[in-house]
Amino acid sequence: MIAWLLGVSLVGSCAAWPLSYLFGRKAAGWLLALLPVGLFTAFLSFAPAIAAGGAVTEWLPWAPSLGVNLSLRLDGFSFLFVLLITGIGALVVVYAGDYLSTESDWDRARFFTLILLFMTAMLGAVLSDNLLVMYLFWEATSILSFLLIGFHADSPHARRAALMSLRVTAGGGLALLGAIILIGVTLGSYSMAEAVARSSELAHSPWIVPIMIGLLLGGFTKSAQFPFHFWLPNAMQAPTPASAYLHSATMVKLGIYLLARFEPLVGAVPHGRDLLIAVAIVTMLVAALQALRAENFKSVLAYSTVASLGVLVLLIGLDGPTASVAMVGFILAHALYKATLFFCAGSVQHATGLSKLRSMGGLARFLPVTAGAAVLASLSMAGLPPFLGFVSKEFLFLAQIESSWEAIPLAVAVIVNAVLVAVAGAVTLRPFFLDPEKVTAVRHGETPALLLGPVVLGLLGLAFSLEPGWLSRSVMRPAVTAVYGTPVDVELGLWHGVTPMLALSAVVVGIGALIFVYWKPIHRRLRARSRIDRVSLEHAYDALFRGVEWAAAGTARLVQHGDLRRYVWVVLASAAALVAWGLVAAGQAPRLPAMAALGDLRAGPAAVALLGLAGGIAATRARTLLTTMIAVGLVGFVAAITFMMNGAPDLALTQFAVESLIVVLLTLALLVLPLGGKATRTRRERRLDLALSAGFAALLFVVLLDMSVAPPHTAVSDFFGAQSYVSAFGRNVVNVILVDFRAFDTLGETTVIALSAVVAWSLLGPRTPREAAATPASAPTVFVLAITSRLFFWLLAGASVILLLRGHNEIGGGFVGGLVAALAYAMIAITSGVGRARAMLRVHPLALAGGGLLLALASGLPGLLIHGDYLRHVWVELDLLGIHLKQGTTLLFDLGVYTVVLGGVLAFLFGLQREAAR
Amino acid sequence: MSVLYALVAAVLFGCSLYMILSRNLVRVLLGLSLLTTAVNLMLFETGRFRSVQPPIITEDANRLGGSAEPLSQALILTAIVIGFALTVLLAVLVVRAYRAHGTLASHEIRSADQLGDPFAAEAGDDR
Repeated sequence: MIAWLLGVSLVGSCAAWPLSYLFGRKAAGWLLALLPVGLFTAFLSFAPAIAAGGAVTEWLPWAPSLGVNLSLRLDGFSFLFVLLITGIGALVVVYAGDYLSTESDWDRARFFTLILLFMTAMLGAVLSDNLLVMYLFWEATSILSFLLIGFHADSPHARRAALMSLRVTAGGGLALLGAIILIGVTLGSYSMAEAVARSSELAHSPWIVPIMIGLLLGGFTKSAQFPFHFWLPNAMQAPTPASAYLHSATMVKLGIYLLARFEPLVGAVPHGRDLLIAVAIVTMLVAALQALRAENFKSVLAYSTVASLGVLVLLIGLDGPTASVAMVGFILAHALYKATLFFCAGSVQHATGLSKLRSMGGLARFLPVTAGAAVLASLSMAGLPPFLGFVSKEFLFLAQIESSWEAIPLAVAVIVNAVLVAVAGAVTLRPFFLDPEKVTAVRHGETPALLLGPVVLGLLGLAFSLEPGWLSRSVMRPAVTAVYGTPVDVELGLWHGVTPMLALSAVVVGIGALIFVYWKPIHRRLRARSRIDRVSLEHAYDALFRGVEWAAAGTARLVQHGDLRRYVWVVLASAAALVAWGLVAAGQAPRLPAMAALGDLRAGPAAVALLGLAGGIAATRARTLLTTMIAVGLVGFVAAITFMMNGAPDLALTQFAVESLIVVLLTLALLVLPLGGKATRTRRERRLDLALSAGFAALLFVVLLDMSVAPPHTAVSDFFGAQSYVSAFGRNVVNVILVDFRAFDTLGETTVIALSAVVAWSLLGPRTPREAAATPASAPTVFVLAITSRLFFWLLAGASVILLLRGHNEIGGGFVGGLVAALAYAMIAITSGVGRARAMLRVHPLALAGGGLLLALASGLPGLLIHGDYLRHVWVELDLLGIHLKQGTTLLFDLGVYTVVLGGVLAFLFGLQREAAR
Repeated sequence: MSVLYALVAAVLFGCSLYMILSRNLVRVLLGLSLLTTAVNLMLFETGRFRSVQPPIITEDANRLGGSAEPLSQALILTAIVIGFALTVLLAVLVVRAYRAHGTLASHEIRSADQLGDPFAAEAGDDR
């Protein structure tokens, strides 16, 4: 049921966007409010179960392997929040319908969607029992708050305020996530109810300090406690309905919700309560001071909200059941009167276009009902009987007196409440009743949608205290019980006789009245003290992010310099450092071969190897690129001969073919490019490069020597050697590894070749249809070559087919076969031109490559069908005309590789040749 | 013999790094080609030159006798072909870069830096 309601809320929020267009300007607010109203009534149906002291729990698996289950829990405390969220949410949506009447359709649709999504996130946050799920919803509220504060994104103030709130609250959220994970690790469970029940166990765990820091940071940032309070007054950039909803009634209470839930843990930790109370006192004092200094209607309200949140944290910090009663009562009373006042502030701003309290006056003439609602709310805020605010203030003082604390919190509470009384007077009497000459006309009067919210909430503040039975039975008592842990009897009443609390209330009202009377001089004096602004943490915040941006710009300039050489230098130096570190960290000196090992030199191979050495050095010293290319090619051929002389004929063949093709292809490239040119490195840079290269090479030399002494690991190659013929029916073990044992790897590499050919063709292929249709100019023909090239072509083509066919048992295979076939066509292309070669090929080289890839892919299918393993090759034996044939799908696979290599190389060849002719 | 081959492979590796650090794109490309060869030789070293017999099972046997190591050869075989594809693809890119910019010096190719402010497009954002 609860999960269904959450789902309905989410789907409804998303549907709000199109529906807002559908319903039109007049009706959208009223009709969209049906969603929160419906949710409100649905949740209200839980009232009997909640009043009976029960909790409704639901459980849906979400990501069980991560311990994340959508476990939902509706108890008394959640119930209070759920009613506030949906109830005030409905009024906010109605109000916003008219408040945003001057915005574009797009903006109104956006606002409705965001505010309803926010409602969903809030519901999720207070209904989740799994802490990780709660965290997700928690951060969702931060993000939606960001989007709503920055609603008018064209204003730099709004953008700054939005970013500020996101950084502060989401940063605190990250700290909270840390705490949640530590709780989960410590307890083995992410259930909030379980974490609260096992508070003492948590309090004695070694992780308690970070857990507490994370929890408190999360709660303090969200609920705007000192020193993180500065984001909330800035958040008043949001449209007023959002301020009323997010930044006074619901979201900022989420931190209170968290701290209240974990109150048993706070109490179990030494000095936990002290810390909470200290932070709350500082917050209250700072906020009260700033409320007296603030000029804007909404800013005054925002600072008074911060002070009220401080009061709530103070109440969480105090021990005893009365503190819990007072906290729950104050959450409700504050939500009712503060949302009302925000609604009134919004109506006033909307009607007059003014935002400074100083310039307003006498608005009761134009907005009489709004003024009435403001009076109701202010009386509740001032804590005067018979309003709910009075009842909750009585409990506040009772909790203070009953708690084991000294007089300091009580004194601070008296002062701050007195300021709140004065603020209540200032935000009602001054704009609505005093100085009627200041405003002589308004843009528009009151509309039902703008009145519904303030009137309903203002009257509720009165009704609840006059008829407290249902409230205390169904909401207050279950909520207090859920927070305090054991059932607490809650008696709301207006008159308890002459008590110390009544006396304190009288003192508060008296001081508050005095402050109100002297509001102007006090306000002016405090504003003159600009030093108060300078010590605010907002400056530290600004400085911090200026520093971050400065450091980011500097880092980007440092590491994103755009010089390829320096990038490569850093990469190579880091790699060399890693190798060196590996050598050092091994903890033992590298093993070196015995001197006797030097004696096994064979003259021929040694001479070839030294030739390679000379080629490498020549390549680095060559002046022109042609020489360099020839030197590099020489090294390639040396490698091929080395392979041949050491029992690797397959490698030798492949390397020979590759080197020949590289010479052909790179020569084509060099036809286009300048061969000489001035040096691109300074002398100093060359020296540095030499040092790095030589150092890295020396390191690798040591590593190679060490490796040559170590005993070889032959288990894998022994397996291949033993199984090659028995299981895979092939005598050439290298080829069997490629096409059978490791066929998947080979398939991947074949794909790489095919794709690189596609890339090359797209870069070098014909750029216009006409170019595609034109026959390429034939190359100047050398007579001898023209005669012999046909012969060479057929020799090479025949050789390539033989290499392919016998590759499974003798030297050869698809790779080398394809390379040799490509050489055959290269022969023709060089002697008779690309046109001739393409005519002989008949198909498009990319079609060849793609077809080959398909063939290789398809060759795995018979194995999949027969054995259930893709690329497990299938063998058939048959006697044909007296010849015994044994053939497997390996041949198809190798044929695919052959075709891909042939097509790929020819794509490069034809493309480069065309480019050279351009 | 293995000491000599280790020396050759290491020196070729150093030579290829020196070329890769150049700012001439063709030199970088040839350096990468040389690097492929050097690394292939190093891979070949892991086979330890235990025999000069190719890893081919003789007609009278059904398993590999004392021959060169087949696994490193299989690895190198694909590495050669992939290295070839890489080299040629780089050559294509270098040719196109030269056609577009008229230079082979990497520090003179600055078109990526001249794309302008990535946030400038925001100004034209409409709903």
